[in-house]
Amino acid sequence: MEPSLVRLDQNFAGTADDFPTLLRRKGLLGPAAIVDPISPVGGLHQRNWEPTEATTILAFKFSGGVLVAGDRRATSGNTVVYDRADKVLEIDRHSIMAIAGVPATAWEMARVLEHSFQYFRRTQLQEMSVDGKVRALSKLLRDNFGFVMQGVGMVVPIFATYDSHPKPEARLYFYDAMGAQFEVTDYAATGSGSPAVRGILYYENNWGAKPLQKLNEDEAVSIALRALDTAAESDTSTGGVDRSGKIYPLIKIVSQDGITTLAETKIAAVFKQTVA
Amino acid sequence: MIEEPYRWVEAIANRREYIEAQLASGSPIAALGYRDGILFLTLGQTRQKIFEIYNRIAMGAIGHPGDIERLRMAAIELASTEGFTRSAADVSLRRLVHYSLSPVMKSAFEQVYGAPYLARMLFAEVGERPEEDLFLRVEYDGEIATSGATFAQARNDFAALSGTRQSRELMESFLQAEHAPDTGFEAALKSALDAWSVGQMALQTGDTKEMPVRTAVEKYRREQLANTGIEAGILERDPSRGIRYRALMDKELRALIHD
Repeated sequence: MEPSLVRLDQNFAGTADDFPTLLRRKGLLGPAAIVDPISPVGGLHQRNWEPTEATTILAFKFSGGVLVAGDRRATSGNTVVYDRADKVLEIDRHSIMAIAGVPATAWEMARVLEHSFQYFRRTQLQEMSVDGKVRALSKLLRDNFGFVMQGVGMVVPIFATYDSHPKPEARLYFYDAMGAQFEVTDYAATGSGSPAVRGILYYENNWGAKPLQKLNEDEAVSIALRALDTAAESDTSTGGVDRSGKIYPLIKIVSQDGITTLAETKIAAVFKQTVA
Repeated sequence: MIEEPYRWVEAIANRREYIEAQLASGSPIAALGYRDGILFLTLGQTRQKIFEIYNRIAMGAIGHPGDIERLRMAAIELASTEGFTRSAADVSLRRLVHYSLSPVMKSAFEQVYGAPYLARMLFAEVGERPEEDLFLRVEYDGEIATSGATFAQARNDFAALSGTRQSRELMESFLQAEHAPDTGFEAALKSALDAWSVGQMALQTGDTKEMPVRTAVEKYRREQLANTGIEAGILERDPSRGIRYRALMDKELRALIHD
């Protein structure tokens, strides 16, 4: 029988652990992976077994907040595992985590993160600061780094949120697999298709019709679709837009009012008009 | 002492008397189901008494702040770990209270050499429809009272918590008469403020079982509102949202009170 979840700690000290620590204390989350410097990087494990991976995601700031988009393909080696993967995940009312890498690990991280923010707000009776949230994700990545070294469980996320203090503004970060966070002013892209996407976003931002931050919603959606489609052109792991199956990338927008998920019909309309 | 059964009963009775005296000054809390959710309300601004526990669960409590805090943290911890390992839909107020909080509070109360919890709590869980709302009151000895139908009474879409039994019962009979379950927010807010006033008046006058007259309640309510802040929170029924709890600001409520 699994240990009862409903047990009250009689010697409760009154101070709240952070949520991952609480989960580990209760044996509900695996311990942080140990980084073993002796084991060969990309050794046996990786050759024998290819983990399922999710690919290209991008995010940039535009006039209506931050747009976060991801294609829908998940692959394992040469095989397409799934063509409707959801890589753009809502963490709370104002935060999005988009993932490239191993979904098994990434979805678990997103779950831990989502509960961490809520647990903090409920126990401490105040919202966690944006810096605190950014750090929380960084810590999860650091805890996971041992698995990355063993060739499994690499996750490279983008984190987009809206900060109301001290002044209201959209904030955008990308991470490396070890947990370093990098705040960006305009755009970020990670995953196997990201070199192409970065090229396009850099070009658009500097020499396009207008800088990314000045785009309206339709223009922003159009550029996101074009970028993902370009990435898919050369990168087999990126799904881009599936014209025959009518599968479109997932696009969400973070603004002061919260998160909006764009309807597929709207994305399809922009696609028909400006991309196809 | 506890080798003799009679002494144990006596010790428990003393302890009960002591706790009741400690809780007697606790300002009332009213929780009312209405069309779009559940409203928790109390007046006062010394310390927070209404809390979010999980996506669909909120709590109001009176008693010692240290004890309230321990129970509140425990409830959040249990609900959060359950919601994380299974799903938010598996977190249920009934299980939380019946299997976790109540047994612990009962044993703390009955172990006469240890300290009991000096707290009395009111929980509510919002349902898809008003008939599915659940209200549970948990006493310091682990006793649970529900809003559900019994042989003696129909199901209630409200619950009250107060320092004394008389005060609570007056609030309950007031709400029984005044509150309609399918009402809008403004009507629920007014009933909650009046129920609070009834409860608070009973605490101040002591051992009364008389319901104060309507004009007296309204006068008292106006006086209190002029001097003190409103603390309130709602659990929204809106199924498109995961997290239903929202604390309400004093300012946004004042705009809805037409006195």
